[in-house]
Amino acid sequence: MRRPGVLLLMVALVAFAACRRSLPAKPAGAALPSPSAYDLEIGRNVYLAYCATCHGEKGAGDGFNAFNLDPHPRDLGDPEFQKKKSDADLADVIRRGGAGVGLSSLMPPWGHTLNDRQIEDVVLYIRGLKGS
Amino acid sequence: MGVAMGERPAGMTEEPMPLRRLFAASSLLFLLVLAVSPAKNALRPYRFLQRQFRDLGMSRATSLKAAEAYANQPVAIRQIWLRDFDNRVDRCTTCHLGVADPVMIGAPEPFRTHPKTAHTPDDFDRIGCTSCHGGQGLATSKEDAHGLSKEDAAPMTPAAFIQSGCGRCHVSRSVPDAPTLSAGRALVERAGCYACHSVRGHESYRSEAPPLDTVSLKTGGMWLRGWLENPKAVDPNATMPNFHLSADDIRALSHYLFSQPVPDGLARSIEAASREPAGDPAAGKRIFSESRCITCHTLDGKGNGSGPELSKIASAATRGWLIAFLRDPHAFNPRTRMPRYNFSESDVRDIVAYFEEELRDFEAPEEILQPLRVNQTLAEKGAILFRNAGCGSCHVSGSTNEVEKFGPDLDGFGDRRAASLDFGRRHDLPRTVPSWLVAKIESPRSFADGLKMPSYGFDEEQKRAIVTALLSNGAQPVPEKYRHHAPETVAMIPGGRVGELFSRYRCLSCHQVGNRGDDISTAPLTFEGSKVRREWLIEYLLLPYTLRPILPERMPILKMSRDEATLLADAIKTFYVDPAIAADPFVGRPASDRDPAEGERLYTTLGCRGCHIIGASGGYVGPPLTDTSKRLEPGWIFHFLKNPQVWRADLRCPNYGLTDTDALRLTAYLETLGSQAAAKPPSAGKESPR
Repeated sequence: MRRPGVLLLMVALVAFAACRRSLPAKPAGAALPSPSAYDLEIGRNVYLAYCATCHGEKGAGDGFNAFNLDPHPRDLGDPEFQKKKSDADLADVIRRGGAGVGLSSLMPPWGHTLNDRQIEDVVLYIRGLKGS
Repeated sequence: MGVAMGERPAGMTEEPMPLRRLFAASSLLFLLVLAVSPAKNALRPYRFLQRQFRDLGMSRATSLKAAEAYANQPVAIRQIWLRDFDNRVDRCTTCHLGVADPVMIGAPEPFRTHPKTAHTPDDFDRIGCTSCHGGQGLATSKEDAHGLSKEDAAPMTPAAFIQSGCGRCHVSRSVPDAPTLSAGRALVERAGCYACHSVRGHESYRSEAPPLDTVSLKTGGMWLRGWLENPKAVDPNATMPNFHLSADDIRALSHYLFSQPVPDGLARSIEAASREPAGDPAAGKRIFSESRCITCHTLDGKGNGSGPELSKIASAATRGWLIAFLRDPHAFNPRTRMPRYNFSESDVRDIVAYFEEELRDFEAPEEILQPLRVNQTLAEKGAILFRNAGCGSCHVSGSTNEVEKFGPDLDGFGDRRAASLDFGRRHDLPRTVPSWLVAKIESPRSFADGLKMPSYGFDEEQKRAIVTALLSNGAQPVPEKYRHHAPETVAMIPGGRVGELFSRYRCLSCHQVGNRGDDISTAPLTFEGSKVRREWLIEYLLLPYTLRPILPERMPILKMSRDEATLLADAIKTFYVDPAIAADPFVGRPASDRDPAEGERLYTTLGCRGCHIIGASGGYVGPPLTDTSKRLEPGWIFHFLKNPQVWRADLRCPNYGLTDTDALRLTAYLETLGSQAAAKPPSAGKESPR
């Protein structure tokens, strides 16, 4: 009489625990990292301080210093451009400058000025730019 | 009976059964009771979460070894113990298992990787979690840990105000990587919160609000009424908040202010000035623009805005007062940031003539500057009101230094409990400290009748910043080991005649010296002596010109004498030098490092002309370099090129990671600029094709 009771209890417990264990873990493998508000705040500050002077506040390549530059600063909002370049490409040109990747040296290298985190955050911010 | 008889033996034979049954039942009960605790433990949510995390990790792992590592993670409470940080024990990582795990980027909470910050992912073991986020580190259930279950337990800081956590340790005004906190701290100071509320570390704060003893000679009753009703409606730059005064209160206060005796000296100078002949408005307009007044003031909204808007100034203040004030602003308000320009007698008359001609409210009635005839009864009523409303906390009379802290002190808001706050009528608010603070700043008097705090009209971002700053004040300072002070730099202001000049021209209103001074100018003076040449500095002080055309703020022409300029330049060359900067950077270097031709080549290949002008071509971001050799010291150029951000952390000139040789060659090239009869612009168009 005692044994079945205990057995029942144990079976119930194990079954319950097993049930909880087999709860589907949300399929998050494919989820894109959503940038945190903090990352975007830092990215925005970096962009406005270092990039907007030439690339323009909204990324259209129309910053006030743009007219001095030949070749003209890139329109960062251009969907073609956004599609073509990976985050790593963008980080690379920011880090090594135009000269570092075979483009215009008028785009300076920021790898000694900005840290990796700032570069990552500004790439996140650039991804949200719509240009003009 | 037969039945009864039949029952009894049955009862007799069955007698041991109930006992056995009782025994069985009680042992079962006993076992159940024994099982409660292990069962409760086995069912604690963190165990399920840890198993869920294990599965998630195995499904996300990119190698067999990594998957095995997830599979072998024991189910257990995890904790970070900080013995030297108030003996903190943070068990948050018991559920937030992926905070330091890059595989968990974008994973669902509570497993997601912590966003990267200056301290993550490297400093979890040094700083823990609750030191920034608040909450209950020891708890292992979500409700308890997040501080949602008990009223007296510190809840977590909501994400919107999370930068308050940075401010617990970072005590300086500006904190890199915490822009909201920095903005909040600056706003709290600028809005004058410290004038009424005492806050640790800001006891010596004095408002810049003007003493009110010359009001009766400055303005008229009508203007004053408009101002008291809503200062920001009169001047959008006004720092004075809205006190929501009734018409009666405004009348009483006006009479009180007009009853104030004007100090003899000031009264004489105002009256004498009002009798002076009229000036030349055209000349005044020229002097006004040369003096770069909009570096602080605004004209129709254009300008820096740290000083009052001037487009209607002649309808706000009388001619005599304006003339006397411009001649010696510090006699009217010893705490003003405005410099005392070295204007001539007629300069000031001309400027005020320009004000009267162009900078007045053309729609204002004639009597806007009509003085008020004082009614003693009303003035006495106004005196009581002045005291009760706390006006004296900001408008300290020139002679006293005693300030009454009128409001409650704001220390320790970061550790206050919502239960200790008076929500009064605001039943609509969530019972949390941040929501109380936001509402208090938004409409301070909505909590109860008779409250005195004025309203400031801050926008959403500003409110968030201010609340972040207030929440960064803990009840106790963090242990010294964790406190991060601003780096110590020279903050010495010379005394004597040089000190008088620094004060007269209010250098610190725009320039920083070490940790002191405001930040309107982009050029701190801390190491200015190592940077610029003495002769250039003297001429610049006499006739400042625009170094960076993109900045709206320009160094004003203060009209100082050559003697004064020389004295200041010599003091700067003596005191504000960085011993790390060599006068001659080429000492001990091979002659090839001095090659200006190589330097010029570098100038072109690095793309310097994108931002700098030499001769006629180049960009407008940095200062023109045409006359570099006349302006800058070679030692400083080299030092700057090696690491521009040493000069100022937010400087935009990129650090190119130059070798000593390259930096020296560039220095050698820049040193040739301005020393020849005609500076040759570098050959352009050599950069690689796009």
